[in-house]
Amino acid sequence: MAALGAGAAGCALLVTARAVTIAPKLLVHLDGDYIHISAPRLGFLNGKALERLKDGVSIAFIGQLTITSQPNAVVADARSAARFALSYDIWDEHFSVTRFGDRPGSQRSISHLSAQAAETWCLDNLAVEQALMHPDKPFYVQLDLRADDPRDQIGVIGEPGINITRLIEIFSRPVKGNQQRWLLNAGPFTVAELKKARYG
Amino acid sequence: MFAARLTSFPALLLLTGSALSGPAFAGQALLRAASEANVNQRYTIESVSISGVQVERAKLPAGLRHRLIAMVGARCDMTAIGDMAAELRKELHLRAVNEHLSRGSQPDQIRVNFEVVKRDIAFEVSVPKFLYHSKQGFTGEVQASTHAGPNTFTLGAVSNGDDLTERYTGIVARYEDAKVFSDKVRFGIGFEDFHEQWSNSTQRAMAAGGAESGLELYRTRRGVSPGFTFVAAKSLTLSLGANFAQMKPETSGASQRSANALTADAHFAHSVEGTVQQTLDGKYSLRLGTRSLGSDYSYTRQTISFRYQVKYGKQLASDDFMGGNISGDAPFFERFVLGSSSTLRGWDRYAINPLGGTRVAHNSLSYGYQFGDGVGEVFYDSGALWNRDKGTGGVRHSLGIGYRQGIFVLTMAFPVVEGRVSPVFMAGMNY
Repeated sequence: MAALGAGAAGCALLVTARAVTIAPKLLVHLDGDYIHISAPRLGFLNGKALERLKDGVSIAFIGQLTITSQPNAVVADARSAARFALSYDIWDEHFSVTRFGDRPGSQRSISHLSAQAAETWCLDNLAVEQALMHPDKPFYVQLDLRADDPRDQIGVIGEPGINITRLIEIFSRPVKGNQQRWLLNAGPFTVAELKKARYG
Repeated sequence: MFAARLTSFPALLLLTGSALSGPAFAGQALLRAASEANVNQRYTIESVSISGVQVERAKLPAGLRHRLIAMVGARCDMTAIGDMAAELRKELHLRAVNEHLSRGSQPDQIRVNFEVVKRDIAFEVSVPKFLYHSKQGFTGEVQASTHAGPNTFTLGAVSNGDDLTERYTGIVARYEDAKVFSDKVRFGIGFEDFHEQWSNSTQRAMAAGGAESGLELYRTRRGVSPGFTFVAAKSLTLSLGANFAQMKPETSGASQRSANALTADAHFAHSVEGTVQQTLDGKYSLRLGTRSLGSDYSYTRQTISFRYQVKYGKQLASDDFMGGNISGDAPFFERFVLGSSSTLRGWDRYAINPLGGTRVAHNSLSYGYQFGDGVGEVFYDSGALWNRDKGTGGVRHSLGIGYRQGIFVLTMAFPVVEGRVSPVFMAGMNY
C-alpha cells in the first residue's frame, strides 16, 4: 500500500514536473510608453512551422495582444495586432522577420536572428500604449498567435470552383494539424505595479 | 455536425468561402507578401528537380518542363516558386507539391526541389459553378472527375435556370484528351441528357402565337458534342466540332426533333503586365445547323464577345461587350437571353422576352476597388434583345453593386424601370 502511494506520488510529481517544463508563461513589463510582453518558453518556431522554414519557405504568423478588464472578456480595452512573415536563410542559417503594418511604409524587417531572437522580436512588436490604461485599474493580458499554412488554401478554391474532395481532406484533419495556435493569458496587473517593478 | 448546423447550401458555400479566404486564414495577400519578403530571394537558382529527379530527366509535359528549366539561373523568387508548385499540383493532378530549398554547389546558389505527393483517391469531386438568384432560384453543378495521364473523364449533375429560356436539369459526361499528337491539339467529347422546365410566361407566349413562328417546346434534350481544340498561338485557340441534339416535344405523339450543327470557335486572350495591367479577351463563335447532318433545323448562329480590363493599383475597370445573331430556324436552346446573372442583371428575362430572341447586343461596364482580399464594385449593364423583322423593343439598363472575393460573388442589381425599384440579389461563385 505504501509502495502504491509512493508510486502515485512519483507519477504526480512527474506529471507536475512535465507541466512545469512545457507550460509557457506570459510575462508583462513596461518599456517606455508601451506595455510589452515576453514568453521565454513559448517556442512557437518548432514542429511543422520550423520544418517548412528550414525548407526555405516563408511562414506567416498573425499575433494579437489583447488587454481586458476581466479575464476572458469579449470586449477589449486595448489591442495590438500584427502580421509577421518569417523565413530561414539557407546559407546563413539564421532567421529573418518582416512585420507588416497597417499603413504603407510601416513595414519593418530584421535578419540574422536565432530562432529565439526571432520569436522575441515578434512578441516585442506586439505592444500596447500604457496611456490607454488607467494606472490603478487591474487588467488582464492575452496573447493569441497563429501560424498559417498556405498549402491549406491551395487546391480547395480554384479554376474548377470548390474542390469537395480537397475540402473533405482538410475537414478530416485534426484541428491542430490544420493551424498551429498559441493562446497565453496573464494577469491581473496594474500600470502602477508595472512601473514599481520597473523602477525597483 | 458541421453540415447539419447549416440550413442551406448557399450558406455553406459562403461560409466556406469566407473561412478559406478571410482574415482567419490570413488571406492570399499576406501569404504572397510573406513570400516576397523571403530572405532567400537574393540567391540564384542552381538547379530544379521534381522529387529529387533533375527536371531535364523528369517525365513532364513539354510546356511545364520548359518553364521549370527557365527557372535555373534566375533569382530565387519564392512567389514564382510557390506559383509553380501550384501549377504542378494542378496540371499533374497531385494531392500536394511542397517546395524545398537547399544549398547549391556555390555560395549564393540554391537548389530547388518540388516534392510531390500523389492522391490517395482516384475521383475528385468539385462544384464548378453555383448561383442563388432571388427571382430565378438555384443554379448549380456538381462534378466528379478522374485523370489518367492526359485523359480526363468527368461526370456531372446540373440544374441551370440562368443561361437559357428554360431551366434544364440532368447529367453531363465528358472525356478529354489534352494531348493529341502534341500539347497543342486537344480532343473532347461531351454527352448531356436534360429534362426541361418551361416557365408559365414562356408557355403563355407560345400559346399566344409563338408556335406559329416555328418554335417548339420540348420535354427532354439529349446531345453529343465532339470537338478538337488547336492552340494556334500563345494567345489564340481555335476549336472545331459538331453538336448533335435530339429533343422530345412537349406535345404527346409528336416525333423527336434533331438539331445538328457544326461548331467553330476562336478565342483570343492577351494581357499586358506593368504598373497598369491590361487584359483583352475576345471570342467568336459559330454554329451552323444543317440538314446535311440530318437536322430538322437549318440555321446559323454567330456570337462575338470582347472583354477589356484595366487594373491600376487597387482600382479595376472593365468593359464587356456581347453581340449575337441567328438566321434561319433555330431551336429554343440556341436563342439569346438577357436578364441572367451576367447580362442585364436585375431584369426578369421573361419580362424582356419570354421566348428569347434572335438578335442581341449587350454591354457591361464596371468599376471596382480592392478592399483587403476582396473587390467592391459598381456596374452598369445595358442591352437589347429582339427578333428579326421586329424592332429592338428599346435598350434596357440596370445598375448594381457587388463584392467579389476570389471566385465568390455577392451582387445586388437594380433594373432601371420607371416608377419602381425592385432589387434582385445574387450570391454564388464562378458566374
